[in-house]
Order: sequence, then C-alpha cells, then structure tokens
Amino acid sequence: MQGTLKETLVPAADSHRPLVLTPTEDMRGFLTLHLGRTALFLITCTSVLAVFLIFLFVIREALPFLAKFSIKEFLTSTSWYPEAVTPKFGTLALLVGSGYVTIVSIIFAVPVGILAAVFLSDIVSMKVRNIIKPIIEILAAIPSVAYGFFAVMVLAPWMQQKFGFSTGTNALNASLVLAVMALPTIISVSEDSISATGRELREASYGCGATRMETILKVVIPAAHSGIIAGVVLGMMRAIGETMVVWMASGNAAQIPSPWWDLSQSVRTLTATIAGDMGETEKGSPHYRALFAAGLLLLVITLCLNMVSEYFMIRAKKAGGKR
Amino acid sequence: MKRLICSLVLTMLAVTGLVRAETLQIDGSTTVGPIADAFAEYFMRTNPGLEITVKKTGSGDGAAALIDSRCDIATLSRFMKDKEFKAAVDHNVFPVAHAIAMDGVCIIVHPSNTVIALTTAQVRDIYKGKTKNWKEIGGPDAEIVIVSRDTSSGTYETFHEKIMDKEELAKNVEYVNSNPQAQARVKTTVGAISYVGIGFVDADVKALKIDGIGPTKQTIANGTYPVSRPLFMFTNGYPKLGSTVFKFCTFYLTEKGQEIILAKGFVPVTSY
Amino acid sequence: MRPGIRIALDKIFTVVAGASVVCLCLVLAGVLGPMLWRGGSAVVFKETIEFRKMQLVLFGRGDEDKIAAEDRQAKIARAKIYSAIEKFKGGIDSENLIEKARQVYRQFGNDLRQTNMSAEDIAELRSVTRNIRDRLESAFASSNTAEVNESLAYVLNFKDDPRFKNTSASGLIELAEQYSKDIHGINLAERQRYYQELRQVEDILVQLLGPTPGTATPALMMNRFGATRWDLAQKLLGQLLWYEEWVNQGPGQPMVKRLTPRSQRFAGTEIEGLFIYIQQNMPEMLEPRPTFYWQYFIDDSTPGHYFGGVGPEILGTLLLTLLAMLFVVPFGVISAAYLVECASDNLVIRIIRMSINTLAGVPSIVFGLFGLAFFVLFFLPLFGAPSKGCILAASMTLAVLTLPVMIRASEEAIRGVPQTYKEASLALGASRFRTFVKVTLPAALPGILTGVILSLSRVAGETAPVLFTGAVALGPVPKSIFDPTRTLSYGSYDMAVGDKLAAMMPHNQFGMVVTLVLLILCLNTVAIVLRSRVFQKLAGH
Repeated sequence: MQGTLKETLVPAADSHRPLVLTPTEDMRGFLTLHLGRTALFLITCTSVLAVFLIFLFVIREALPFLAKFSIKEFLTSTSWYPEAVTPKFGTLALLVGSGYVTIVSIIFAVPVGILAAVFLSDIVSMKVRNIIKPIIEILAAIPSVAYGFFAVMVLAPWMQQKFGFSTGTNALNASLVLAVMALPTIISVSEDSISATGRELREASYGCGATRMETILKVVIPAAHSGIIAGVVLGMMRAIGETMVVWMASGNAAQIPSPWWDLSQSVRTLTATIAGDMGETEKGSPHYRALFAAGLLLLVITLCLNMVSEYFMIRAKKAGGKR
Repeated sequence: MKRLICSLVLTMLAVTGLVRAETLQIDGSTTVGPIADAFAEYFMRTNPGLEITVKKTGSGDGAAALIDSRCDIATLSRFMKDKEFKAAVDHNVFPVAHAIAMDGVCIIVHPSNTVIALTTAQVRDIYKGKTKNWKEIGGPDAEIVIVSRDTSSGTYETFHEKIMDKEELAKNVEYVNSNPQAQARVKTTVGAISYVGIGFVDADVKALKIDGIGPTKQTIANGTYPVSRPLFMFTNGYPKLGSTVFKFCTFYLTEKGQEIILAKGFVPVTSY
Repeated sequence: MRPGIRIALDKIFTVVAGASVVCLCLVLAGVLGPMLWRGGSAVVFKETIEFRKMQLVLFGRGDEDKIAAEDRQAKIARAKIYSAIEKFKGGIDSENLIEKARQVYRQFGNDLRQTNMSAEDIAELRSVTRNIRDRLESAFASSNTAEVNESLAYVLNFKDDPRFKNTSASGLIELAEQYSKDIHGINLAERQRYYQELRQVEDILVQLLGPTPGTATPALMMNRFGATRWDLAQKLLGQLLWYEEWVNQGPGQPMVKRLTPRSQRFAGTEIEGLFIYIQQNMPEMLEPRPTFYWQYFIDDSTPGHYFGGVGPEILGTLLLTLLAMLFVVPFGVISAAYLVECASDNLVIRIIRMSINTLAGVPSIVFGLFGLAFFVLFFLPLFGAPSKGCILAASMTLAVLTLPVMIRASEEAIRGVPQTYKEASLALGASRFRTFVKVTLPAALPGILTGVILSLSRVAGETAPVLFTGAVALGPVPKSIFDPTRTLSYGSYDMAVGDKLAAMMPHNQFGMVVTLVLLILCLNTVAIVLRSRVFQKLAGH
C-alpha cells in the first residue's frame, strides 16, 4: 500500500519523509496490486471453471455409451427400453415429449405474457404497476415442487372429472403448469424491453392519430420485438429444463402422441427420464451412461437456446441504445 | 446478525465427528420399504441410540449400494441378478439372501370395473397394446389406461418375467415410480390397470384373479398364485450372530415381526 | 376503418390486456389457495383424545393426569360398543370357537399323560374326546340349524359322564352350552356374511378408537392410537355407518357404488342399534377440541409422516441453504467486484460473462448429474470422505447452481452505488482497494443482501440437484455435514407420490409443501422490503 491514510493526510511540507516511494515500498505495492488482481481474477474464473467441469464430467460419463451405441439410433429411435434383455436407448420419444410440452406451454404463455407486459408498461399507472409486480414475483418464487404437487394432487383429478380424460396426468396438465412457470420470465423481460423503447416513438404514433391499441400493436411491440423474443426464448429454456413438474404430472409414457394434436395423452420428457431412472440404476452400467448422454443432449439444447436469446438481447440493447 | 449466522454455521460444522451412535443403513426396494420402515421404527424405539436410515429408491439401487458397501442391508423385491452377483464378488462382497415375507404381484383395476378375472395371456395383450378397450374383454366401454412401474423396479422385473414373458411393453404405457403412485393412479382413473404388491391393495382398488386364482394370503403362501414371489433382504455374508444386523434380518421370524409384516399387508413366511 | 370501430377495438384491447393480468392473479390464487387451505389444516384443526394421548407418548407433551382422566371418561362411553360386539361375536366367530375347542382337547391330552392310567385307556379316552371335539367343530362351522342342534345334542349328552366331570374336557361341554345360548336368534345362514362384515366393522373401529381393550399393544406406533383428528374421525364414521358395494348395471356398463346403512345389514341382531349409538356418542368417545399445533414445525415424525411434524425437514433445508450460501457469497461478491472494478472489455472478460450466462441456463437436473459425477464420485473421495450423498455435496452443487444469480445481483448492487461516493473517497486519498472495502461495499450491502435472500429462496426450493447428491426420504437427523438429510423439497415430492402412509394423512402432505412455500414467500417478502428500502436510500432518503 502507498503509506497509511494518516500519513497521506498530513500536509506534505510537515512530513518527515520524502514523497518518493522507497524501492521496497514500490515493489510491495506493485506485487500486492497485481497479485491481488490475479487472485480476484482467478476467483472470478470459477464460473468458467464450473461450466468447463460440468461439460467435462457429463461428457466423461456419457462418452463410453456414445462410443458403443450408435448415435443415430440414440437420436432417432422411439424405443426406450433400457433394462430389457437387449437394451434399447432411443430418445426420439423423449425429445418429442420435451419439445411438445415446451411448445404447448409457450403457446399458452406468450399471448398472456405479452398482453400482461403491455398492460403493465403502457396502460396502467405506476402505482398499480407496483402492486401487480409483487404478484408476478411471487409466481416466480413458488418452487417447482409446489407446482408439481399442485399439478398432480389438484389439477389432475379435476381434469379427469371435468373433461372426462382417461388420464389426468398428461401433456396438457404439464403444459399448463409449465406455462404458469414460464410467464414471470416472459413478462419481466418483455416489460423491460417495452419500457426501454423511447417515448418519442409512442408520441409520434399518437401524433399521427393512432389509438392506443394500434400504437401498441403496430409500433411498440415491433420496436421491442428483440427483447420480447429474448424473453420468450428464456421462458422456453425454463420450460424445457424443468424437472419436477413434468416428472409428477406428465404421465411418463415414452410415446409420441398419436394423433399429434391429442394433448390428453401421456408423454415423457428428457428431464423426467433422467430424474426418474437415475436413482435406481447401477453406477457405470449402460443405462447410467445413457442417462448422462441424455443429460448432455439437454445441455446442448439449452446452450443453443441460450445463444439465441443472447443474440436477441444484444440486438434489443443495440436497438434501445440507438434511440 | 452476521456474527450469529457465522457462529451458527461454525457450530454445525464443528459437530462433525462427535459421538456417533450405532448406525444401520438400509437401501432398496419400494415394495419392501414399508416393512423395513416399520422394523426400523420398532428397533429404534427399543434400542435408543441406534439410528437406522431407510432409502427406498428401487431394488436395483439397493443391490448397487450393497456392492459398493454403502449399505448394511439391501432390500430387494427380486433375487439378485447374475451380473449383480458377479459384480459383488468382484468387490469382495458375498450377498446372502434372507426371504423375509411373501408377496404377490396383484393386477389391480378400479372397483367400478366389471372385470374380475383375467388370464395371463389377456394381461399380456393389454400391456402389449393389442387390447385397447375394456369392452373387448367383458368390461365396460372405457379406454384402457395402462400403468406400469418403472423399469428399474423389482416389481416390474417380476411382472415382466412371469406375465409378460419378457416381451416389450406398448409405447403408450405410463410409468410411475412407486407402488403407492400406481395404486393412486388406479384409484382415481376408471379405466386404469396396474400391478402392485399385495401390501398395497386396499378397498379403493380391486385385485383381479389371474388364471382363476385370486391373490389371498393362502394362495401366495403356498405359491399357487401365479405371480407370487419372496421379498428379500441381502447382507454381505451371513451377519454376525447377535449383532444388530443379525437381529434385524431374523426379526421376521419373531411374533412381533410377523405381526408387523401382516399389518403392512404382506404374507409372513411362516405362521406363528 | 371507421373511427368508431377503431375506438371500440381500442377499448376491447384494454379489457383483454387487463383480463390477462386478472387471469394471472386468479392463477396465483388457484395454485396457492387450495394448498394453503389444506396445508393449514395440518396446524389448525380439531384434535381428539387420541391426539392428546399420542402427543403424550411420542413427545411427552401435555398434562398426564388430565389426559388419563379424559381417557377414562372416553372408555366409559366406549365400553358399551365392545361388550355388544363381544356378545355378537360369541355366536358367530367360528374360527375362534374351533381354536378354543382344540386348545381344550390339547390340554386334556396333557392332563391325561400326568395321570397313571394305562396307555390303552388313555388312547380310548382321547379318541372319545376327539369325537366330541369334531362334532363340536362341525356345530361351530355349519350353517344348517338342524345339523347344529344335532351335533350340540350329541356333545351335551356327555354332560354327566363321570369320565369327563372335573377334568379339562368339561371345557368342551361348557363351550357347547354357551354356544347354544349364543346362537339363539341368529340366522346361521347369514353367519358367514355377518362374520366378514363384522371384521370390517372391527377394523374401522380400531382405526377410529384405537386397539380393542384387552388385546396386546401393537408393535407399530401408528396402530396404537385411534383417529387423532376430528375430520378423520368423521370420515371413518361415514365408512362405519354405510356399507359400500359395487353392483353390476348391465353388460358393457361400469359398476356403480351402492351404499346401504350398516344397521340394515345387521338387522335383527344385537348390534343393530350400535351404529346409531356410535354416531350419537362420538363427542363423548373422542372428546374433540380445536387446537393450534404450532409444534408441527419442530416435531420429528413417525415413518411415513403418519404422526408428527416437519421439524427435521426444515432443519435439513436450512442447513443445505446456509451452507450453500457460505460457499457462494464470497465467490459471487468477489467475482462481481472484479467484473465491475477491474475488468476491461476484452476477450477474456467476454468469455467469463458468457460462462456466467451459460451457467444460468443449465437445467437443474443436469446440475444434479454434475453434482453426482463430480462432487459425490470424484471430489469427496479425494479428501477421504465416503463417496455417498451428503449435505456437503448437495450444498456445493446448490452453490454452483446459484452462482450466476449471486454474481448478477451483486454486480447490479455494486454498479448501483453512485459514482460520487467512490470519487469522494478516492479524492480523500484512499486506495482503490480501501475505497471498495470501506465505501462501495457497505453502500452496496443492502443490494447484495437482497441478492443473497433471493438466492436463498431459490436454493431452498430446488429438488432436482439434491435428488442424487444428498436428500433422503427417511433418515435420522443428520449428525454432521457428511450425512444425508431430509429436506422440505424432496419430502414434498415423496409425500405426493411415494408414500402409502402419507396418502392416508393428506393434511400432512399439504402441510409439508405449504411449509416450503411459506418459507420461501417469507424470504421473498423480506427481500422485497429490503429492496424498496435500498431504493429509497440510494435515491437520496
């Protein structure tokens, strides 16, 4: 350090020391500064280390499987019979299941989410907004196991009674609950980016005689479209990575629903398969490694989605910055 | 406030390695789980200072835990597979089986279902997806909702071997992770069919006769019910006489033990 | 488009947008409402004398004398039930009677061996007695009145036989006499049905009132007490009063449930009036009282959560989250500090930021896999610890999970400190490090604390990462961080789908998940309050 604070407060003329640093002090200061910085840098790099380790260990456990079994069969076969006499590891049904519940949940969540974001940013006053915001935060804070509990104990029997479905734990059940879980993300990111579009845009539109609805639909939303898309993709990531809700509420049938639009059939996702099978599989068996391969698949998918949302976020920031 | 949290955390960490009571680790089947739970409760009550942990994640995991010496007793609802035995011997673990109770894998349906008996071939057709509606086999006009235990379960293994003849299940079979979950699905779904251990059959579901024989204590005890099976506890070698593991593994021979087994709905190996 | 239509459309749009928000609020109410209501009944409910007895035995709570006095009162009200059933059983419990006859025969055989009669005499006497016993058994088992009377007459013939007087074989005669008295007025054809339905009634009574007095104490704690809650008692009463059977409706139709009053099923017998008696005297037999069972949050539970509370689960969740925070806060704050203070926008920093974003996007189950593969199977054995799931592995996994949240929140907090603070401190001659530690950090502290609390609430609710790294469904309270633990999150999952006993006590299922939700909501409320205070403070009081 360059002397104590006390010494530097004393007027230079009264100090008995010269203002120039001694070589030791200089060296000490140099070392402490740079060593300190390096230490901080290394600590900051733990996140990089963590990501690296995650990939390393998941790949390490999955590699023996991927080397032995054909990747093509892994990705395109719908037969998931891991404990049969001749094990079959086809994840197509699981991938379709994950995609199915994600897409349906986004279909439910996006209209509600964007409308709510628009409502919060453009239509109501600040006071009302500050009352509604906590409600959305509470929705976001409820743990996934509570949503899963609700889905299997309350929603499933209700669905069976009300709509006469043959089974209450199906794709519709899981999609509805996932939509509720993705909503807070979509709303907050969309609302942020809608608010970030400048007032001039809106004022110019009103100046041309447009009604509020026309302004919102034709000017504001298109202007904020990058941020909204980023929010939707983040919501998709939340839905596809969710485990507990789908494990409890989707029925876990490794099938592709036929016909494809029949939501009342049971599906199975990648996440539920990993969670459900892992506890009972022998460590090191092909089944165990196949589950790690499924985890790797999931990781790759969410990584791609992450990059897509990053891209749109950057575009939104750029768009916001220009104006 | 910060200081309080710090001291609290340090105290908790410092408790590491203090006086350790005798512990018993049990891992394995969800079918045998309730019996192990009940035995554990009784033992912990009569031996204060003894701590028993029971994990119920499946027969496969129980076997793996015994092989890795991560547990003292593995509960399995099936016998150990060949490769599990080989792996155990490779790890210097010599599994010894104790058959503590008899169980029957009961095919259950909703009580409103008019079907009361099926043949093994009919059940196989249902699970392979050939029969899709209950009216095809004499029941009401309702779609069959097929529920099965997950593939690492011992109950599934027994069912797969004795009824399915090791054939593949249909693709639209729903999988659940435990006996109570299977029972809950059948209880609430009119068209459902599933299979559970006899300890999980109660007034809310109906157990069918298979090949003309219904699952009762007598037919399971003398093996005439087609899908009867023993429930096992495996230890590493025969437990030392008089040790806690020994007492736990031979508890099923005592009156109290059999009372507990009966209370859980299973069939004791002998009758006291 | 005509202006009128456009304005109308605008108004419709406003309403629709409002409806979406209303929809959100309804969803929140719909999700939380039923759960809070049913979970609340785990803590606030009407208890019975059985509950008070259970609390006394399991937790040592309550006034022993008062409870004993109440128990005596309850027993008086119940006595009538047991005596009526005993009397009825006397006439129909064939198995029991047959066993008694066999015991008498065995006893007689033993007595004979003690005397000094010759072997042939003993054999002859035994064969005669065996005949008597067999006829008596057929009398017990038969449902044909004529046959029964014939067999009883045969047995009673031996009443004055000198060979049996004053020996234990006279027990057979006594049984015959008692039996002929008991079956007076019972329709023997119905006996099989009576016996089965009486077994049902007895089973329900055991669940309702506890073990029948005079029988041995059951081995399992859950069987030692009757209905501990008034709502459970009402449900059992319903099962008791109504006989349920499924009847055929016709080909191709599912069966329907038919309920007939049980008093009708037992018409003409002694226990016909029993059911009305039970229904009217429930309050005297169970002595219900409303109660506030706040100890639910600190009590341990019996296996399956049949009795007791969620204390160990709360402890496990708190241990996991606090330990995870201990790991993540230093790393998070220091990383954020570096990124704000020392980082310049070059490739390395971009890689770091990208990693943080990637980490934020990894699904929680993959964290579980990573925790298993790295912490449990690789990291722990490096330090000589056993490679099994434990609190340490689970909290390290949770720490990695929550690192991005912590870094982002800290970064926001540190950036939010006004430049003027920093510049003023530097102007006074403080070094950059000192400025940061003594000025920026304390100013950013409320924001960082908000981040800590938000991470805490996220971590407390996570289930997937702890599934394979440290959570168990049943286990003792952990003694060290190398033991696995029960948690609220995994416990809620297990209660919802995995446990047979839990399904019998639905209020416990909901109770656990409600405890988790309330814990997280409290933490979040604290965070929100803190954040608004921070906002006010930084905006300049």
